[in-house]
Amino acid sequence: MFAYVVRRIFVGVIMLFVMSLVTYLLFFAAPSDPARYTCGKNCSPELIEQNRKALGYDKPVLVQYGEFVKGVFVGREFPDDPELKKSAPETIASCPAPCLGYSPLQSATVTSLIAEAAPISISLAFMAFLMWMVFGISGGIIAALYKGRFADRALVGSALVVYSFPTFFIGLSLYIFVAIKWQLTPIPVYTPISEGGVGAWLSGLFLPSLTLALIYIAGYIRLTRAFVLESMGEDYIRTARAKGLPQRQIMGKHTMRAALTPIATVAGLDLGALLAGAIITETVFNYNGLGKLAVQAATTYDLPTTVGIVLVAAAFIITANIIVDVLYAVIDPRVKYS
Amino acid sequence: MTISRRTTALAVLAVTSVLSVAACGGGGTTTGSGNGSATGSAAAGQKGGTVYWLTKRPAEHLDPQRTYIGRDLANENRLFYRDLVSFPVGKTGEEATKPVADLATDTGTSSEGGKVWKFTLKDGVKWQDGKDITCEDLKYGLSRGFATDVITGGPNYQLGYLDVPQKDGLPVYNGPYKKTGQADFDKAVACEGKTITYHFNKPWADFPLAIASLRSFAPYRADQDKGDQSNYAIFSSGPYQLQGTWQKGKGGTFVRNPNYDPKTDQTGRMALPDKIVITEGLTNEIINQRLIADSGDDKYAVTDRKIPGSMYSQIDSNPTVKSRSTLVNAPFVDYLLPNFNSDVMKNPKVRDALKLATDKTAYITASGGDKYGVPAKSIVNPDIVGYKDNAAFTGPDAGDTAAAKAMLQSAGVTLPVKIKYTYSGGTPESDNAAAALKQGWDKAGFSTTLDPLTDTYYDVIQNPNTKSDVYWGGWGADWPSAATVTAPLFDSRVNGVGTNPKSNGQDYGNYKSDAVNSLFDQAAKAADVQSAATVYAQADDQLGKDVAYIPLTVEKFYFLHGSGITGYAQSAATSGYPDLGSIGVKK
Amino acid sequence: MSRWASADPASSGALLSVRDLKVTFPTEDGLVKAVDGLTFDLRAGETIGIVGESGSGKSVTSQAIMGLHRGTRAMVEGQIVFDGRDLIKIVDEDLRRMRGRDIAMIFQDPLSALHPYYTVGNQIVEAYRVHNDVTKAAARTHVIEMLDRVGIPNPQKRVDQYPHEFSGGMRQRAMIAMALVNSPRLIIADEPTTALDVTVQAQILNLLVDLQKEFGSAIIIITHDLGVVAELADSIMVMFAGKAVEGGEAEEIFYEAMHPYTWGLLQSMPRIDSEKKERLVPIAGNPPSLINPPPGCAFHPRCAFRDDARLGCSSVIPEFDISTEHPARCLIPEGERRAISQAKTKTRTA
Repeated sequence: MFAYVVRRIFVGVIMLFVMSLVTYLLFFAAPSDPARYTCGKNCSPELIEQNRKALGYDKPVLVQYGEFVKGVFVGREFPDDPELKKSAPETIASCPAPCLGYSPLQSATVTSLIAEAAPISISLAFMAFLMWMVFGISGGIIAALYKGRFADRALVGSALVVYSFPTFFIGLSLYIFVAIKWQLTPIPVYTPISEGGVGAWLSGLFLPSLTLALIYIAGYIRLTRAFVLESMGEDYIRTARAKGLPQRQIMGKHTMRAALTPIATVAGLDLGALLAGAIITETVFNYNGLGKLAVQAATTYDLPTTVGIVLVAAAFIITANIIVDVLYAVIDPRVKYS
Repeated sequence: MTISRRTTALAVLAVTSVLSVAACGGGGTTTGSGNGSATGSAAAGQKGGTVYWLTKRPAEHLDPQRTYIGRDLANENRLFYRDLVSFPVGKTGEEATKPVADLATDTGTSSEGGKVWKFTLKDGVKWQDGKDITCEDLKYGLSRGFATDVITGGPNYQLGYLDVPQKDGLPVYNGPYKKTGQADFDKAVACEGKTITYHFNKPWADFPLAIASLRSFAPYRADQDKGDQSNYAIFSSGPYQLQGTWQKGKGGTFVRNPNYDPKTDQTGRMALPDKIVITEGLTNEIINQRLIADSGDDKYAVTDRKIPGSMYSQIDSNPTVKSRSTLVNAPFVDYLLPNFNSDVMKNPKVRDALKLATDKTAYITASGGDKYGVPAKSIVNPDIVGYKDNAAFTGPDAGDTAAAKAMLQSAGVTLPVKIKYTYSGGTPESDNAAAALKQGWDKAGFSTTLDPLTDTYYDVIQNPNTKSDVYWGGWGADWPSAATVTAPLFDSRVNGVGTNPKSNGQDYGNYKSDAVNSLFDQAAKAADVQSAATVYAQADDQLGKDVAYIPLTVEKFYFLHGSGITGYAQSAATSGYPDLGSIGVKK
Repeated sequence: MSRWASADPASSGALLSVRDLKVTFPTEDGLVKAVDGLTFDLRAGETIGIVGESGSGKSVTSQAIMGLHRGTRAMVEGQIVFDGRDLIKIVDEDLRRMRGRDIAMIFQDPLSALHPYYTVGNQIVEAYRVHNDVTKAAARTHVIEMLDRVGIPNPQKRVDQYPHEFSGGMRQRAMIAMALVNSPRLIIADEPTTALDVTVQAQILNLLVDLQKEFGSAIIIITHDLGVVAELADSIMVMFAGKAVEGGEAEEIFYEAMHPYTWGLLQSMPRIDSEKKERLVPIAGNPPSLINPPPGCAFHPRCAFRDDARLGCSSVIPEFDISTEHPARCLIPEGERRAISQAKTKTRTA
């Protein structure tokens, strides 16, 4: 098992490098010139050329990539201009390892941008995760237990309705009606625990995580229902009944164990993907998480930030995959890694 | 790069007229002492409270030399970056865009036909740490604009005007960080005690307008300068200072600057609220829904985001909300450009027919109606100094189909005349607006193909080889002078038309006229703003006769503000955005 | 035995008396009569084999006895009298207490019948503790003894292993241990050896015989293979299309079978002890529809001996006379059948 995890981590790290390289290559394959975005409206070709050089975009792509990789291990300084370092050292931004680059459009190191945005996305993801696991799974179990009856039809029906709405619509509706028109909650603003305590943090997270959770709740009701029903039809459940076990024990121990194991896998992967940011929800609620940062970076040709977020997102997903696989070996005795 | 609310990141400062000033508050109250006034009364113009500014687009720069967004330029001037001269608070009409002395003792004196300008700093003007603002600070601020590899994104008029020699298209002076060519810069900008002297290589009659509109000439403290890392570091010379740090995408909070002395300020900044909270990143729908609901802190909120078309009926049906809405001229003018490289558009009669067939009314209706804009009679915004309707464009707003058809028939071309119209599309409004134009043209004998570009726009039409017959454009002036409208858009030499095979700069229609170019030269040499305006008007006449462009609409700002706001004003001095110089809150 | 079953279950003296059992499943196409009027008795300590092809209703019968259709849409009618109590009528909770304690079940495929996520020991301990108020440790000791008793080597270690770590035969032994852990009076073994290979089959059947002697349980063994019950059963009931078609003592069924379907089953039975290469004769045709069974004798479309003109096979429904010792549901006169049967038995045993 240990060897397996080490091997998986090693492969994951290699994947991260490949992804960062691909992002670099894709970025430079795009028709837009990143240097154009550095200069005001009456921008002369000479100025663009000068800025291209100042940003290092004049160097071959692979050289730029090499500098990026070097920065990850030993750190970098921006701008990398020996003359400027000598004459005005106070203007040089230092980016210690692991340095993911410096965004000239944000005037900050990518590491610091991600460090600011990540807690927001992570808070949002975990809160939504909690909500959807609690409501999605209990809803799915209820639907399965009352299969074909009113509770089942109501749950599955409303899940289908919610599922068919775009997140944007759900988020905006919740925001406008719950927070603005009916004023049931305060205007959602992200407040770190360090600033407003747990209460403010939770109340700020409520609406956006609900938005995010609703889509997942809908999905998980259907998923859980299907897994529970499938499990209820298994031979070993019949065995459990034949043993004379009470219904509660059959459901609680035998059915759920089998039904929830695959859900744990799906949930782990869903959470991993969500940690890297929920673009639409963060945009609607003005949460400056990784998702919003990613959109901003992609639409302003901010290469260093784009690469940084791609890497962080990939790292979250790769890590989630490894954890889920290891977890699977723990919860399913049939699975063994060597 | 050019200016469009639709495509580029670089919007513009521009001028607007004040069509609406809220009834309550504003104007003439004193800019009195720092002591709080009496509490309890609902009278306008009280000190205290918090004003909230809700917006969507994050400020890209809050460094004075790098700011190029009208909203941010205006707010910087009102809150924390005073300049030698500024536009006054609480004025309307032409008065609003007439610079008044701010840090300087007067509005400056020029000599050598406008090539040399002198300003003297007032006594007692201080930075937020209590140190005096010096001539060296002014000079240092200006010098930063020359470090074009570090101080990026801002206006760069200083590079062209200051009398610093050029080499390979760039000034030999490269800013205060590397200091190459420092001696040349020191010659162009000289300090003598509190007096600063600017030496230009050509006359700059409207220099004070540029100072008041941009922040390129604002002072900067060398010991606070960390180059790019100072992008969001605000070191105030105005009535407010930043509390904590600015968080991009989230905003910041401004509190009173204890070292600001209102006695040194005659611009009319009232500095009413104790606090100003700017929140970025909200969507237009959310901002305007919150302003409609008008609850809690949102009572004290203003915005620079237009009311979305989908919410018009919600506002029209509610008189209380409607009373809190304002509709003023925006800094932008929409226009069309015939492509002078296209065979069919080389024919002046075809251009004339196109002009006659253009239905501005339908274009405006399709774009969102009277809340979107009013028909334009020139590419120049009506509130720019010396504005005149262009006689070529005063025909019926809905066009004249019969006259257009007759003109086309006399042009010696076979009907229908096939044309392609390229515009910045991808939204229902822009596509509907294009369809409305096509309908008018096709009735008059054109056969129009629509060519919406949804990704990059100006980058494409900037290529002189682009095969299209008509282009859409949008523009706002950098300061209230035609010098920042017609000249940058139609001077073929500046834009490299016919000389640069890769780009036509901002002269997207590839228009080239020696007569117009020489008028621009003549205007640039003018020693004062008024006489320059007369010459620019002549140039505009010629552009109209040539149908170098067809104006469509002067855009509007349709904004809401909270019920607890006093002194609400959107003046030309602030590019049509809410003026934080006069806004306060009811207690 | 003088008659197949008495009319009154109370007077039968049997441990289990099933009377006119009907199990019906409503479907979109109509009512599926999976079991249609089944009657039989089983005395304490004896074994009955229920034999039939798939779909004949034999597994449904066993599940009906366990009450496993409760809570589903299936309708169960008739009487299932176990130890004097009608299992169809008693309340859920009483039935639950009897399951596993008085009546236990061994399933066909032990891999799917055992829960993959729990150890074998855990599952047997659970079966024990649900009916016995003992500590986990005591239950575990008992379970290890049971595992040992059913022939699982190294039971101290095996008790903590998962089903997938057992071989097929060992799994079925574990399953048997689970069924016997409460010393039930009735064991229902539903195709207990079908999933196993031939040598293991014999071992498991021998184990069942041994255990029955030791525990004194009655057994219902359900199979499609007459060979399985040959050594084991005291009596045999052959089912076809939800109904009993023949019933009697095992000897009689093997040597004096009185129903054409049983003849078919006997003919299709492979013989382990035979040296000769015999041709196995499968019974032609498919099981009939249980929603709309064929008119008359349900077997007649597949019957090689049908004679519609003389006997009215497609119109007259043959009886299963429980008052006889060896009832067979057939319209062919008994004498003719006896003759055919004797001829067939001769060929078979030659």
